[in-house]
Amino acid sequence: MNAETGPTGTIDVQLKKGVLTLCVLAVLSRGDSYAYEIASVLSQAIGMGEGTIYPLMRRMQTDGLVETYLVESSAGPSRKYYRLTQAGQDAFIIQQADWREFSDAVNAVLTTPAPRAAAPTEEPQQ
Amino acid sequence: MTRAEFIARLRAGLVGMPTATATEIVADYEAHFGDGAAAGRSEADVASALGDPNRLARELKAEAGIQRWRQEQNPSAATGAILAVLGLGAIDILFLLPFFLGVLGTLFGLFIAVAGVFIAGGFVMVAGPFAQAPGGALGAILAGLGMMAGSVSVGALLTVFTVWLVNGTVWFARLHYRLLKPALEPTPSTQAAGDPA
Repeated sequence: MNAETGPTGTIDVQLKKGVLTLCVLAVLSRGDSYAYEIASVLSQAIGMGEGTIYPLMRRMQTDGLVETYLVESSAGPSRKYYRLTQAGQDAFIIQQADWREFSDAVNAVLTTPAPRAAAPTEEPQQ
Repeated sequence: MTRAEFIARLRAGLVGMPTATATEIVADYEAHFGDGAAAGRSEADVASALGDPNRLARELKAEAGIQRWRQEQNPSAATGAILAVLGLGAIDILFLLPFFLGVLGTLFGLFIAVAGVFIAGGFVMVAGPFAQAPGGALGAILAGLGMMAGSVSVGALLTVFTVWLVNGTVWFARLHYRLLKPALEPTPSTQAAGDPA
């Protein structure tokens, strides 16, 4: 079932698009990070295009979810790190709860046995 | 695509943005290529993983336009935000364009009218007392002041409505971002160029 790689493109993309912010919030909640690292994690985990990370990070910065600071590097130019703001931490808690609730609900729908079997005992008449 | 080619196309796409912001964005992508090289990846590999620089530039431009509009709510920032959002090519916005231009034209006309009433009020107030106005000198001055005050309050209401309209448009456009899609799904051309698998 999960090996199916047929015409699932649309739902796949829409799902990923919706959870990208949540994924970045999750990565940053485990520790400050820089864009290349976040992009590598997410492109491996959910197949996100690496270039997407920069518009996304700017958008999250505009929304006040993350802030940046520079760290001096021993070799090469200093590196730009991202960390969660208080608003970002709050957003992560809320979005995580929303996602858990939603995925539990979807899983419940997917694993529910055929409604015919359960319906007669619960609702005798309609 | 090589690193230099990618950066050149990105830079070209960012023309029109504040120089400091554009420089910062280019530095982000330069650092990305640097990190990729440090991880042993080829320039072509990193470039194809990053996606189309023109598309990225459009999205970054839209984001910067929205940010500027949030910071300074003035007509030029509003125009910039709307234009940048239109540049995204969100199809829904293009469908709405005729309606949108109509609303914009009406607003513009109303602003002109309000300014006209304000100037007329000033004229009545100053010239009325000398021109045998029907209500006498005091009446003319009060009428002029009333016209000016009225036009200022209508202008304020119009401004509030315009700000609300721009915010609504930006919100709508962000909701309909369709630019992440091509970035998530590598196009056939970039696949052929960089990813043999």
